[in-house]
Amino acid sequence: MRTEYGRALLEIGRDNDDVVVLGADTTDSLKTAGFGREFPDRLFNVGIAEGNMVSMAAGLAYSGKIPFASTYAIFLPGRAVDQIRNNVAYPTRDDRRGLNVKLVASHGGLSVGADGGSHQQLEDIAIMRAIPNFTVLVPADSASVYSLTHTMAKVYGPFYMRMARSKTTMVYDDNCDILPGKATILRDGSDCTIAACGITVAMALEAASTLHKEGISCQVLDVFSIKPIDDITLEQAARHTGRILTCEEHNTIGGMGSAVAESVSSSYPVIVRRVGVNDTFGESARDAQVPELLAQHGLSSINITKQVRELVR
Amino acid sequence: MDSRYSIIRRNTLKARALVIRATAAAGSGHPGGSFSMAEILGCLFYKHMTYDTNNPLWKDRDRLVLSKGHAAPGLFSHLAISGFIQESEVETLRSLGSRLQGHPDMKCPGVEFCGGSLGTGLSYSVGMALAARLDGLSSRIYTVVGDGESNEGQIWEATMTAAKFKLDNLTVILDRNYVQQDSYTEGVMPLDAATKSSDPVAARGDPTAWRTSDKWRAFGWHVIEVDGHRIEQIDSAITESKRISGKPTIIISRTVKGKGVQHMEDNPKWHGKAPSKSMVPIILDELKSQSLVAPSIIAGDMTRLDLEVKRCDEAGSDYIHMDVMDGAFVPVVTFDHEKLKELRPLTDIPFDSHLMISEPVKHVKRYAEAGSDIITVHAEACNVSEFGEIHDYLRSVGVGVGIAINPKTSLPVWLKEFVPTLDQVIVMSVVPGYSGQSYIPESHKKTRDVIQSLNKMGFNGVVEADGGVNVSNVADCFDDGARVFVGGSSMVGQPDMRRAIDDIKNSISYARRRMLLHRAHILGGSDMVNNWIALHEVGEQHNVLHQIAQECGVL
Repeated sequence: MRTEYGRALLEIGRDNDDVVVLGADTTDSLKTAGFGREFPDRLFNVGIAEGNMVSMAAGLAYSGKIPFASTYAIFLPGRAVDQIRNNVAYPTRDDRRGLNVKLVASHGGLSVGADGGSHQQLEDIAIMRAIPNFTVLVPADSASVYSLTHTMAKVYGPFYMRMARSKTTMVYDDNCDILPGKATILRDGSDCTIAACGITVAMALEAASTLHKEGISCQVLDVFSIKPIDDITLEQAARHTGRILTCEEHNTIGGMGSAVAESVSSSYPVIVRRVGVNDTFGESARDAQVPELLAQHGLSSINITKQVRELVR
Repeated sequence: MDSRYSIIRRNTLKARALVIRATAAAGSGHPGGSFSMAEILGCLFYKHMTYDTNNPLWKDRDRLVLSKGHAAPGLFSHLAISGFIQESEVETLRSLGSRLQGHPDMKCPGVEFCGGSLGTGLSYSVGMALAARLDGLSSRIYTVVGDGESNEGQIWEATMTAAKFKLDNLTVILDRNYVQQDSYTEGVMPLDAATKSSDPVAARGDPTAWRTSDKWRAFGWHVIEVDGHRIEQIDSAITESKRISGKPTIIISRTVKGKGVQHMEDNPKWHGKAPSKSMVPIILDELKSQSLVAPSIIAGDMTRLDLEVKRCDEAGSDYIHMDVMDGAFVPVVTFDHEKLKELRPLTDIPFDSHLMISEPVKHVKRYAEAGSDIITVHAEACNVSEFGEIHDYLRSVGVGVGIAINPKTSLPVWLKEFVPTLDQVIVMSVVPGYSGQSYIPESHKKTRDVIQSLNKMGFNGVVEADGGVNVSNVADCFDDGARVFVGGSSMVGQPDMRRAIDDIKNSISYARRRMLLHRAHILGGSDMVNNWIALHEVGEQHNVLHQIAQECGVL
């Protein structure tokens, strides 16, 4: 994901002189260092000072620049929420709501693994979607990261995009065209809707295949755009399948599952069961053990399959 | 040239009055921190910043970031005076639907930063400075940071960042007022070293305790220290900051929280509290009655005027009064513009040049170019067209305009059209030409009459008492309405000039307090007097006022 982010940034940077990049001693990790090699005047490494980075990005955006500020998720919404709210989201002049800052975080969720619970950001979606004017995105794979990075550069407004640390299964083709506000129907089905985001999209697809063999027809939605949420597609899904299972690498309180539940509860209420981290913290897991850590919190195709079976029974 | 001292001073005074109007109308807000930075913003808005009120987002403008956002009324007052908003709009402060939010908001034209959450404005300014550099703009970024705000770690993150990127287009002004919400900064979280005294603001007066500048210097900044209520010092520091290349500049501006309203000064209670509406008329009178002393150097050693200037500087003079005499308009010769030019580099203190010369219209340019901040010419030495020329010229070059009248002269009838834009009127209380004469007693009544006529014509300037003013008559001169006091033998002529000036300032202060107590009495009898006195909590003020009230029979 990070590699595609870095590649997209370089392309955007070549097209638009106003694009600048900020990093907090994480430019190598976030793959933004390449941007700095090509545009040394337009990459600002501010050191381990995330609040400073966000406020600087706001000042740059106010002055007409399009700043991409990147670091690990735990240090962005997890640390700099005041700067994000007051310096980026709040300033509004005429119809420009919030400043044109793009916050791109890596290392979201449990799949961070080895660094442990202190580094596994499980609350960022809840934090970010409660802040007005922000668009909140959790793409499923590197192709969607690439596409959304290009979109963020073109569309005015504050954005938060969360990426995972680990390599992700490809869900989309290269050159996919996904847009904020629109969920993607990756698979159609009639018995249950599985709404996923980030790395759980691949799990949802795998679960749907398994269930298909058992005669359970699942619709799979990639709800990468958590805010704005796609109310229309969700209402159609609720009407069509009558039950929704959500799964995400996030606290079950306030995350994508909550957003989906809020949406359908005011359009076509159906049962919404949320799979995710059940209001607790994670812990260390070596790379090979990450699937096991995720599974302990119900984030596996096996558990998704089980949950759907229970729902449709 | 381009001193703009008079306009900065006048507008700053007006800004303070607007802060009182706004916060009193709102019933809340932060007057203390608005007042401590009033002169700082005055120097920025009326001299150093380039902006266009018709096009607030003009690309090439300079930018002001008020990082200590709670001082919003202070910012709004200057935005009103400079024309971004109407003056009457300040009374909508904090009201539902107002563009003037409790903290600066981009709803209000001229606001560049939504402040409120402390500690972030400097980082934001760093972003702006980087953007300006990338865009090749000559714009400067001016950022006002609070000392309480400096508790925030992010201030120091930004400090390192600005130095790393060598942001010489960034000038930060620290409003070092020694007070934050809970209490005195040095008790809550010290920036300076501990002082021996238990006085919570002793560090302000004790240079050996100052550590704040060391901190910034260690972070790689160019550091300038000023008295943050001396317009000329702030002005000169900002000018210096524009010349510094390769590093950002911090101006450590030592100020008094609540400056201008005695009961608010240095009292943490007035960090975030509005004055009650009933007190507003007295507070406005207090603001209007700020006074200055202007020692006249010709009362000293005429052969070493350079030393006299230095004495004035060290003695706490507000102006240095320059009595220029040409041997024609008056029988004596003192010095001319060449001498003025020679003395100018010795001090930042404003030169209050009083031209007792014939045909000033022919010479005034030289005195402006020599570095006068205010130039006063004699009514007896010009006609309406000459004075018009002088007036227009001085205004165009940012020098204050004054007119003087001799004891036997009345205000010229032709002065009327100039009155609203006059900065100063000198009512001579001796016949000019010689130092050491006694005050002509009739001058008291004349001064009062002159002020009355001037006020009817929309006067916004100050009246200067000049001639025989000393410690025993200065209070009466204050009562007449004069607000600048020239002293020759009573100041420069005294061996201990600082003490002489302090004594005169104390007499003025006594008269001012007495005037305000009378005002309180007129507004609401002894109850109001007691309420007014009760506001004065810091130090001995309460007892002093009580005594004055008894002496003048309002209690």
